Amino acid sequence: MIDTSPTPTVESVLSAAVRARPGTLPPLQSAGEVVRSALLSLPARLWLALGVVVLAAFLGYLVVRVNRRILVGAGVPETIEGTAFERTAREFGTSTVSLLANLSGYFIFILGLIVALTIARVEYIAAFWNRTAGFLPSLFLAVLVLIVGLVVGDKVELLIDERLRGVKLPQAGILPGIAKWSVVFIAVLIALGQIGVDTVALVVLLATYGFAIVLFGGLAFRDLLASGAAGFYLLLEQPYSIGDRVRIGDTDGVVQEVSVFVTHVESDGAEYVVPNRRAFTEGVVRIRE
Amino acid sequence: MTSSADLLADLAADVDGVFLFSPTGSTYEDYREVDGESVVVVAQENDHDAEHYVELPLEFDNVRDRIRFGVEGAMDHGFCADGDVVACAVGVFGDSIDAVIRTPVTESMHSGIYDLFANSRPDPSVVRDVFDVAIELGKKGQKGKPVGALFVVGDAGKVMNKSRPLSYNPFEKSHVHVGDPIVNVMLKEFSRLDGAFVISDSGKIVSAYRYLEPGAEGVDIPKGLGARHMAGGAITRDTNAIAIVLSESDGLVRAFKRGQLILELDPEEY
Repeated sequence: MIDTSPTPTVESVLSAAVRARPGTLPPLQSAGEVVRSALLSLPARLWLALGVVVLAAFLGYLVVRVNRRILVGAGVPETIEGTAFERTAREFGTSTVSLLANLSGYFIFILGLIVALTIARVEYIAAFWNRTAGFLPSLFLAVLVLIVGLVVGDKVELLIDERLRGVKLPQAGILPGIAKWSVVFIAVLIALGQIGVDTVALVVLLATYGFAIVLFGGLAFRDLLASGAAGFYLLLEQPYSIGDRVRIGDTDGVVQEVSVFVTHVESDGAEYVVPNRRAFTEGVVRIRE
Repeated sequence: MTSSADLLADLAADVDGVFLFSPTGSTYEDYREVDGESVVVVAQENDHDAEHYVELPLEFDNVRDRIRFGVEGAMDHGFCADGDVVACAVGVFGDSIDAVIRTPVTESMHSGIYDLFANSRPDPSVVRDVFDVAIELGKKGQKGKPVGALFVVGDAGKVMNKSRPLSYNPFEKSHVHVGDPIVNVMLKEFSRLDGAFVISDSGKIVSAYRYLEPGAEGVDIPKGLGARHMAGGAITRDTNAIAIVLSESDGLVRAFKRGQLILELDPEEY
């Protein structure tokens, strides 16, 4: 009547309990025996499983607390203040820090729950949970990457926006948005890759996008980059310095300023701003009286 | 029957404009529009996004300098014109506004304080940084002893051609700019060297130890100032530079432009 096999499942324990209903009315001492042996057969695994659940809950809580401390200590709340994600989180009565901290806590708790279920040998859901358990770290990582991507994207947008605020140019307003969505796009790509979605098409898109940026950036900044490279040499070696009389190409005068990109040369009240590239392509003549 | 408020009413009667010097947020909100005209805010930062704003590079302790700077700046921006009479609400004894001063706007008032900062060759921020260094140096001196220093700011190419080195240049092949935190210490150490510091338009310290060789004719500086001031004043006449001089004897910071003394500050008051 009582299942005493070494691997009692919840099913068998339940069926034992069902069979021990007062309806069937076995003798009284027999009922007590049933409860006692049910308790005896139950503990081995179910108590352990229960312990694991409690431990997981405790660990999860601990991780939430520690993570929150670490995130706050690392200055994350101040850094991400004002980003769109943080504001949305605030609207829902939470914050990015607690979201991140709770996420890790939930992850540990769910992991503990799965371990507990495995220990308890709940057979018919075990198969499902085993696959979920394998999938869980990826999902956790994906969500983490997504949140970090969103926050970093927002932050990049804010930073670029601040830098461009001095530039009163309406067209410049598009740049922060582009930067933000680039970061978010890459984050989504990584997240999708984590949970095993085929991202080949998106990667190709990203590669095209990156290639276009490099190509057009290189074309647009060609002169600036060449001047910058030359400027580094000029600043390090100082073949001419402020106060020298020089001739660069057909410009001659007194050097007033040398910066990374340009050299200011002044003569007779006219100040020429010469790209440093020209100092290399056309050569510099130092005029000594 | 007169009330005490009439005193202020008389001062502020028939003025063409109102200037608020470093107003707090609530003060600005209360008086942002007077008689339908926006007030002019003169402060170090435009905290309230005032429409008419003049930036103060230094918190001039001398109220007269502060008002001059504000009025000249406003004239330059076209907020007020020659012949106007303006009321300036300004803090004389503390940071908060405690006085209203009525002043006419005249060309003769143009002492060039605003011009010194805003319309000189070097960037206004560079001029301000050099002032900061000079004031700091004047306050603390070098190892407790008063020091003198001469900074020639802007038009560095020409200044270098009108001067010669007294010894090797400690700033050779270096890329330090005034305003870098380390620079105050460096300048303090180098201030025991004789000669002038030459600083470029963008704030790069080009050289120390320079002996200035300008022609000194026609330089109009008050009698009693020493060779350092004379050299500083004279170089600004020959070039488009400005000179900021810390006097070793009386500890004052003076600024010269176009051979003329423009501004005199006491470092102890900052």
